[in-house]
Amino acid sequence: MSFEPKILGFLCNWCSYAGADLAGVSRMQYPPNIRVIRVMCSGRIDPKFIVEALRVGADGVIVLGCHLGDCHYLEGNYEAEKKFDMVKKFLKLIDFDNRVRLDWVSASEGARYASMITEFTDHIKTLGPSPAGGDNPDDEILEELKAIEEAAGSDRMRALVGRERKITEQENVYGETVSLDKFNEIFDLAIKDEYNRHRILGLLEKESKSVKDLAKELKIDSSIVLEHMITLKSRGQVDFGELLGITPTFHKL
Amino acid sequence: MEKNSKSALIIGAGIAGIQAALDLGDMGIKVHLIEKNPVIGGKMAQLDKTFPTLDCSICILAPKLSECYRHENITLYTLSEVNYVEGTSGNFTVDILKRARYVKEDVCTNCGDCATICPVRGVPNYFDANLKNMAAVYIPFPAAVPPVYIIDKNTCVYLNYGICGLCANICGAEAIDFSQKDEILKIDNVGCIIVAPGYGLLEDVSPLTNYGYGKYKNVVTALEFERLICASGPLEGHLKRLSDGKDPKKLAFLQCIGSRSDRDKKYCSSICCMYSTKAAIIAYEHNNDLESYVFYIDMRAGGKGFQTFLRRGVDEYNIKYIKSKISHIDVDEDDTPVITYEDYDTSEIKQMKVDLAVLATCIIPSQGIEKLADVLGIELNNYNFVKTNPFLPVETSVEGIFTCGCAREPMDIPRSVAEASGAAARAAEVIKGG
Amino acid sequence: MSEKESEDVRIGVFVCSCGTNIGGLINVKEVAEYAKSLPNVVFTEDNLYTCSETGLTQIKNGIREHNLNRVVVASCTPRTHEPLFRDCVKDEGLNEYLFQFVNIRDQCTWVHMKHPKEAFEKAKEVIRMGVAKAAKLEALENIVVDATPTAIVIGGGVTGMTAALSLANQGFETHLVERDDKLGGQLNIINKLFPTGQDASELLGSLKKRVESNPNLTVYTSASVKNIEGFVGNFEIEVEQKGKSIDLTIGVIVVAVGASLLTPTGKFGYDGNIRITQYELEKKLKNNEVKAKDIVMIQCVGARNDERKYCSNVCCMTALKNALLIKEKNPQANITILFRDLYTPGTHYEEYYRRAREAGILFLSYKLEKEPIVEENNVKVFNEYIGEEMSIPYDLLVLSTPLIANSDNKELAQMLKVPLEENKFFLEAHVKLRPMDFATDGIFICGAAKWPVDLTESITQGYAAAGRASTIISHDTIEVEGATSFLPEYNKNLCTGCEICITVCPYKAISKNENDEIEITQVLCKGCGVCGATCTSHAIIIRHFTDEQILSEIYAFGGI
Ligand SMILES: Cc1cc2nc3c(=O)[nH]c(=O)nc-3n(C[C@H](O)[C@H](O)[C@H](O)COP(=O)(O)OP(=O)(O)OC[C@H]3O[C@@H](n4cnc5c(N)ncnc54)[C@H](O)[C@@H]3O)c2cc1C
Ligand SMILES: Cc1cc2nc3c(=O)[nH]c(=O)nc-3n(C[C@H](O)[C@H](O)[C@H](O)COP(=O)(O)OP(=O)(O)OC[C@H]3O[C@@H](n4cnc5c(N)ncnc54)[C@H](O)[C@@H]3O)c2cc1C
Ligand code: SF4
Ligand code: SF4
Ligand code: SF4
Ligand code: SF4
Ligand code: SF4
Ligand code: FES
Repeated sequence: MSFEPKILGFLCNWCSYAGADLAGVSRMQYPPNIRVIRVMCSGRIDPKFIVEALRVGADGVIVLGCHLGDCHYLEGNYEAEKKFDMVKKFLKLIDFDNRVRLDWVSASEGARYASMITEFTDHIKTLGPSPAGGDNPDDEILEELKAIEEAAGSDRMRALVGRERKITEQENVYGETVSLDKFNEIFDLAIKDEYNRHRILGLLEKESKSVKDLAKELKIDSSIVLEHMITLKSRGQVDFGELLGITPTFHKL
Repeated sequence: MEKNSKSALIIGAGIAGIQAALDLGDMGIKVHLIEKNPVIGGKMAQLDKTFPTLDCSICILAPKLSECYRHENITLYTLSEVNYVEGTSGNFTVDILKRARYVKEDVCTNCGDCATICPVRGVPNYFDANLKNMAAVYIPFPAAVPPVYIIDKNTCVYLNYGICGLCANICGAEAIDFSQKDEILKIDNVGCIIVAPGYGLLEDVSPLTNYGYGKYKNVVTALEFERLICASGPLEGHLKRLSDGKDPKKLAFLQCIGSRSDRDKKYCSSICCMYSTKAAIIAYEHNNDLESYVFYIDMRAGGKGFQTFLRRGVDEYNIKYIKSKISHIDVDEDDTPVITYEDYDTSEIKQMKVDLAVLATCIIPSQGIEKLADVLGIELNNYNFVKTNPFLPVETSVEGIFTCGCAREPMDIPRSVAEASGAAARAAEVIKGG
Repeated sequence: MSEKESEDVRIGVFVCSCGTNIGGLINVKEVAEYAKSLPNVVFTEDNLYTCSETGLTQIKNGIREHNLNRVVVASCTPRTHEPLFRDCVKDEGLNEYLFQFVNIRDQCTWVHMKHPKEAFEKAKEVIRMGVAKAAKLEALENIVVDATPTAIVIGGGVTGMTAALSLANQGFETHLVERDDKLGGQLNIINKLFPTGQDASELLGSLKKRVESNPNLTVYTSASVKNIEGFVGNFEIEVEQKGKSIDLTIGVIVVAVGASLLTPTGKFGYDGNIRITQYELEKKLKNNEVKAKDIVMIQCVGARNDERKYCSNVCCMTALKNALLIKEKNPQANITILFRDLYTPGTHYEEYYRRAREAGILFLSYKLEKEPIVEENNVKVFNEYIGEEMSIPYDLLVLSTPLIANSDNKELAQMLKVPLEENKFFLEAHVKLRPMDFATDGIFICGAAKWPVDLTESITQGYAAAGRASTIISHDTIEVEGATSFLPEYNKNLCTGCEICITVCPYKAISKNENDEIEITQVLCKGCGVCGATCTSHAIIIRHFTDEQILSEIYAFGGI
């Protein structure tokens, strides 16, 4: 049997859900793989919803809102875009970014909705089943997704993404406007750091580990791991555990 | 606050009438909203996107339509017209002629089964500027309010010959009712009346032969163009030449067709300069190879954000504006329109071939306005729009009867909406003030 | 917590056949049967038309007979039918928020017509998701606050006077605050009015008389607004008049502060003497001081250029008006109007343009790239049509300059917490459908403060703002849906005070109170959910779309 992906859609009530209904009223056909969760605005989509959907086995997740400028709540979809971009950047680290999509559908675009869902379903079909889904999901991937969910949910990332529009688009809020390039630089670094830190926390959840072990498991340089351990310790998220010979180990607090 | 025993009656449920109804309803005043079409929304429901912000028309309108439909203080009368009015400000009595729909409004589930079985096809849908056909039992557009089908009494086989009734058989909800008759409803205790029957377009009354309209397939009116580029329109938003189905590469928008003219209407239609630019922008968004030419006399773009909009048109959407006067349109052997015009910048007569020519036709008073004015006793101005004083902009010549929107002058949506709220305020003054 | 929550969750699921629209493709009986197997579901039924009277009665019977405290309907779409079903469960004594809709028609049977098997599976799964959410639903009450039936209008030009009069005539106690020592705004300086030709003082006089004699209206001249606290229905406003401070409790605010005029210092030889603005010409005409024979007017001075992109709407008409007035008095006068596009839209104004042409006023167009050059006694202009430069002598040069935003709009905007657009005019909530509203409830905008407009539009907008304002203060209370954002007591300690929620809320519903705590003004919240998705410490809860509720749908999707 061919692979039938499980796809979850988050649709805002005012445009994209209306567009999906219009596809129905106009009897436009599309593949039956998608399940829809209705929210009032795409701005409601918390990054964790997207990652959680992947963790429970979605092969693809699509978030749809009103076209930019058309949001029923003025600017919700701009906020949605920022959050989605963050999730996507995280997912890129584990090569999952092409399983998620953000797009806009207006209330008059029934045909666009139908073709978009058709196209997305086909796209996910060519990608094949998600390693996090099915009956035997890959534990490592699940760990990685969990780290992403937690990293994306950390107050640091949420503060960054929450302030992004204010910092980059509006003049002189904090005395100056940060250029988008500069912001992206900071942002991308934060993504990588927070991901690794939450991976470390995930690994330490089960047992205490040394920096060297962590570096090996995560395939990153041990000096970088050490830096993360210092940050995590100062945040009060890890502490020294027992010594393994002369190497100190860490455990999660 | 004490209950208002007087109600308001609003004629025409375009965006202006709807806004006035919602405002009055929200003030706690009972409203009778009278619409002659089977659905509400007026012209705005037919538009694709709207200048100057380019939001999708039906997206922003649909929530208003359903609010109107559900509002506890608003009673909607579709297929209805005002037949007779008596009384004075503060106390009118009104007769409404409500025509038969042949489908029970409170029973139909809007499933569309009836239309699939109806043997009559090819009834042109006015909503899609007659570019799309439908069955004898139909709903003008999917998101229509009220969400109820209607039988076209001119083409339905049963209503004309007494046989068929297939729709009634298939309708599981038993909504079809051939026994419905036109009826007269009497409404009294009407405190004031708001006249908002909107506008018509020159093509409704004139063949526009000068411009080859009707003769040449690739000459369309602006309203037709709105339907052609609309995602839910007859072409599902894929713009094509109507003669051969090819993608157009070059569009012409011809301004002031019948406006500002000695031959037709002397006045300016106010909105066409902007909507043509809008149409060219949307067309470009569909196809980035496209170039558009706007043939105009003066650019009338004074509203909020309008100049910026024009600039965007030039800078980002490949639109070129030619200050000119159109002479006439022919076609070549490919049905390609050839426009002959006088270029005002060089005072030369020139020609241009385009794939599709779009006519910005003159906004004219709503069809039937004379009769309505007669029934209400209100005066019209020399162009047959509802007469108002510039400094009493929403007052008609009769006390207690107000007006708003395109009924009194061509205007865009923001202004129609503002006038509607203004008329609502004046009506509230009468009703609440005693 | 409410009683309902301590009770066992008892869900009833009603599956609609919609004639054959759903039932024709999938077996609704089997779907209903399946729903019975879901957690917390105690009753299921299939209906031919759930929305029919019969169907609604079946729901009510179900609630009564099976003691249901959650209802799920699987049928068409919540966008059209949710209100109906909500009312139905409410009639039976169940809180309307304990209802959940599942779409198995518009987004299932209608779009998978060739895949009955898959549609059947999909219907079951989406019902599973809906049931999971239903189990987590909470009863909500609409939020109701008192509203004071009073209004304040800021700015006493034509627009403000019109708005105030209409509100007062509707029976509301209205306060009109004017900064100047007299009412009238620009009307005070205008000579005669287009398009009627009547004296401006006549219109102003009659307006003033009605304003001053209205018992519901209090006028404060030489006064200004110093401070604004509170929210819709409950604003506390401090007005200062000649050093004296007045405190008012106000339901709604109307902003009508008008606009200012651009003085074109350094442009086109402007000297305020023989090279003047239209505004100065009005004064001269009023005092009968215009003796000039050769008059040239230049349109769009300082407008529609890179610095100021917009068209100021009234200057073409003002020029025509004044040109005609001069011509009337002195038919010998030579008047030339240099324009780019003549802005005379609509019925009356185009007539005016015709009249001006017929009166022998000369119109010459110029282009922005080739602006007229003003010399000592003549103006040089390149005329495209003739294709050459012309030199036109003048003894009076009139520059048509645009209306510009008041320089202190920003201060007022900050006090009101409302935005300005790029030219510093006030920015409405929605250009098309909410032209008189600000995004923040209870504050309205009209007249030249929003955008340059003529008197017809000023007056219309004055009425319009009064109409919109009246929708709020016509009621003793303001009621909004219960599905709002919420910072529960037990989450307050999570909040770090980062204030990000304040910046993302489009409706200014979130603020910090005097104790430095985050406070959500429920009546202002529209329930979009952005703050909840953004809150850095996951402290804010979006009622009816809580994290828990949405996650339960996600888990049910995943089969967990
Ligand atoms: C091609 C085109 C494009 C446009 N694009 C834009 C745009 O992008 N942005 C913008 O702001 N504006 C645009 N407009 C203008 C816009 O359509 C109008 O501003 C708006 O529709 C006016 O609303 P209305 O309610 O006054 O009139 P209408 O929309 O005409 O509504 C009037 C209603 O009254 C009903 N009626 C008429 N007579 C009677 C009667 N006797 N009894 C009962 N009911 C009656 C009619 O059936 C109709 O439903 C465009 C117009 C055109 C032609
Ligand atoms: C030269 C000229 C000629 C014109 N001729 C015509 C014509 O013939 N016909 C026509 O239709 N239109 C004409 N207009 C346009 C017309 O003047 C405007 O449409 C109209 O005056 C706008 O009214 P308004 O009340 O919105 O603003 P304004 O007239 O500007 O009034 C605003 C008022 O608010 C007050 N104010 C400002 N800030 C504050 C504050 N912070 N607190 C309290 N009060 C404040 C001001 O003092 C002022 O009194 C003309 C305009 C100009 C410039
Ligand atoms: S009339 Fe009957 S068949 Fe037609 S749409 Fe209404 S319910 Fe369906
Ligand atoms: S009765 Fe009329 S509307 Fe019904 S199916 Fe026959 S022709 Fe069509
Ligand atoms: S708005 Fe433009 S196109 Fe329309 S009549 Fe006026 S000048 Fe002509
Ligand atoms: S839900 Fe939306 S409107 Fe309500 S407080 Fe949050 S951001 Fe503001
Ligand atoms: S975003 Fe959350 S943590 Fe920050 S101030 Fe608002 S409620 Fe508090
Ligand atoms: S309401 Fe559709 S994106 Fe905000």
